[in-house]
Amino acid sequence: MKRLAAEAGVFARSTYLQYVALFQWATIRGYIAYKVLLPVTQILFFVELGVYGTGRQNALYFALGNALQVTAQAGLYGVISTVGNERQFGTLPMLLASPANRLVTFLSRAIVNVLDGIVTVLFGLAVTVLIFGLDLHHANLWLLGLCVLLISLTTAGLGLLFGSLALIMRDAITIANVVYYLLLVLCGINFPISRLPGAVQVISYGLPLTRGVEAARQAAEGASITQIGGLLAGELLVGVLYAMCGYALFRWLEAYARRGGLQDAY
Amino acid sequence: MITLVRAAYSAFYMSMRLRVVSPFAVLAWLFFPLIFAVVGLYVLARPGTAGPQLVYGVLGGGLVGFFGVAYLDGGLSIQNERWNGTLEQIFAVPTPLWVILLGKVCGSILWGMLSFVPTIAIAYFGFHALVPHLDAGRFAISFGVLTLSMLAIALALTPLYALWRWALPMFNGFEFGFCILCGFMFPVTVLPVWAQGVAGVLAPTWATRALYASTTNDGSHDFGAWWLAAIGLSVLYIFGALFLYRLIDRRARMSGELALA
Repeated sequence: MKRLAAEAGVFARSTYLQYVALFQWATIRGYIAYKVLLPVTQILFFVELGVYGTGRQNALYFALGNALQVTAQAGLYGVISTVGNERQFGTLPMLLASPANRLVTFLSRAIVNVLDGIVTVLFGLAVTVLIFGLDLHHANLWLLGLCVLLISLTTAGLGLLFGSLALIMRDAITIANVVYYLLLVLCGINFPISRLPGAVQVISYGLPLTRGVEAARQAAEGASITQIGGLLAGELLVGVLYAMCGYALFRWLEAYARRGGLQDAY
Repeated sequence: MITLVRAAYSAFYMSMRLRVVSPFAVLAWLFFPLIFAVVGLYVLARPGTAGPQLVYGVLGGGLVGFFGVAYLDGGLSIQNERWNGTLEQIFAVPTPLWVILLGKVCGSILWGMLSFVPTIAIAYFGFHALVPHLDAGRFAISFGVLTLSMLAIALALTPLYALWRWALPMFNGFEFGFCILCGFMFPVTVLPVWAQGVAGVLAPTWATRALYASTTNDGSHDFGAWWLAAIGLSVLYIFGALFLYRLIDRRARMSGELALA
């Protein structure tokens, strides 16, 4: 019990410190740029593209997909840059030398980003409702909220996996860019994944977001938990698998970085 | 004059060398345009899609990539100079700042043009999409005008990045907004009227309109007016840039905050 309390203390301190020290957007201008302008204009861009390509009746399909996809900004960029910034600011060797529980330290890197992702997607959905008249009267709002929470968790799981690479890479944010934009193509954000080639569809279903976005679209139409429970369970499973793989990779790369003295190589 | 050209060329040459080894610069011309082209083609190239729509899929990704590099690369290079501690030296050398930035921006423009290579390749090989009614002459002129407008925008924005640290994240955040207003992947006529008014003050909007008009027989073809509008606005941006360069020269020396990261 005493040990558990100590680990909880490490988790809380680590979460707080990574929030105050590593969140580069935690200024009003930074927040407006990356958390308001970027998501809103991304949603507007793809909705206008979709309206031009498929007609105004499909605006909500594009609006909802992109509003949910912006969650990945926090899950991927946030988590990856959190680890990357430790390296850039020179605190990574100290972190790796500390006796703190690695799993607790590792998971604390994601928690603020998960919360941030939820705020981002709520903002995106609000914009969608206001500008494009997303009708949520028939929506199962609790279930839609659950989808948002799950997507934030699963994209953070993906972020943890790729964030581990920041232990040995200087430009880990490049990886975040690649993964974030690939999700736009692979996860059924702007067109159904059934239009992708068969082999690519397999990759799509192996990624977070795919099932979550599908479930959220159905929840927005009023589906019940029994109808989309399978999709949500699949989304959760994928997210947990990525987080576990991320932790395993983190431990392996930590040892690798220690052996090669790469923690300071910036 | 030869000294200035030599200084601009050196800035161009050095910025190109840095781009070749930068993973992010490779993403900017290769990966991002490819993603936008694929999404655009999947959304626009449906069975029975009309020709003009398809062209937006073929060229749109390249335009987004071209603009992204021209629009932000100057800012990123200024930010890198700041982080590497060389920004103050650039200000202190006898060569005017605009000459050095012109070299850098020319590098961005050339690098940005590469964006069309992967997007046209994926359109042709991946989606069998073609541009059947291309008017090569007008297309070439429109592309030249578009390049001038990109150069003018980049020259006008780059001093802002040096003057205000927050300018880069702010413009980075609004990149999609510019892509909407310039009509890179869909015509600006689909936007609300007030947004079309805002789009009208952006030089690339007119050049892009001419570029797409040269690929189709449909719609109006007021090339002369569109080219003039784009060139006129570009000249205005350059005049604005001259003012900004003077301002930054004075402000940077007065505040002494140029190197603050």
